[in-house]
Amino acid sequence: MINRDKLVRSSALAVRVASIANGAFLLAVALGLAASWVMAGRFTTLLLGAGAGGDLAQMTAGARWMLVLGLAMAAGAFVLLRELGAMVASVSAGDPFVAANADRLRRIGWALLFLQLLDIPGYLIRWSFPALGNAAPDAGMSPGGWIAVLMVFVLARIFAAGTALRDDLEGTI
Amino acid sequence: MPIIVTLDAVLDRKGMTLTQLSEAIDITLANLSILKTGKAKAIRFSTLEAICRVLDCQPGEILTFERD
Repeated sequence: MINRDKLVRSSALAVRVASIANGAFLLAVALGLAASWVMAGRFTTLLLGAGAGGDLAQMTAGARWMLVLGLAMAAGAFVLLRELGAMVASVSAGDPFVAANADRLRRIGWALLFLQLLDIPGYLIRWSFPALGNAAPDAGMSPGGWIAVLMVFVLARIFAAGTALRDDLEGTI
Repeated sequence: MPIIVTLDAVLDRKGMTLTQLSEAIDITLANLSILKTGKAKAIRFSTLEAICRVLDCQPGEILTFERD
């Protein structure tokens, strides 16, 4: 039981740290995006320093799209971490088998699907802005990610069925 | 729910209290109250059997169906 409590506490801490990191990432990306217009000259120098070669206008446009992609990723991660945090909190409260957690798990599934689908715009950026070179998002498909999406949706369904069963059992005399 | 629990009437007839019944069938008074007030979602055959044995009655005397 002590080990389980430690695990729950560590999970809660990990989710909190990840949420803070995600918030910082979101802020950095938003600032980067704003800087690409407000401080266009410095932004260009920064891109040249990154070692990407070729058309500078294309590089700037590509970098802006990458930052927009980063914002979308942070938004997806925000939903995922918020729901995960609420689930961990319900575990530490001692009653995780509630209908709300089945909904949370489903929302985590949607967030994961959204994050997986971001591979497509990532690939499009890589394809549309070759000047970005190695700085472009990785275009590789990740089968593990798709399996995780499927698994979370199936688990959400199982969780919902289990919660309904428990509710029935609780009302059985 | 169209199933009405008429445990009260049978208890009255037998001159028994809910507390005595709960002690006789080893089910908590709280759970038996839930059953009596019709708030239970389901009843186990074992519970029904125990109640019928102690109250010497048929399941139909405890549960009644009433159309909505």
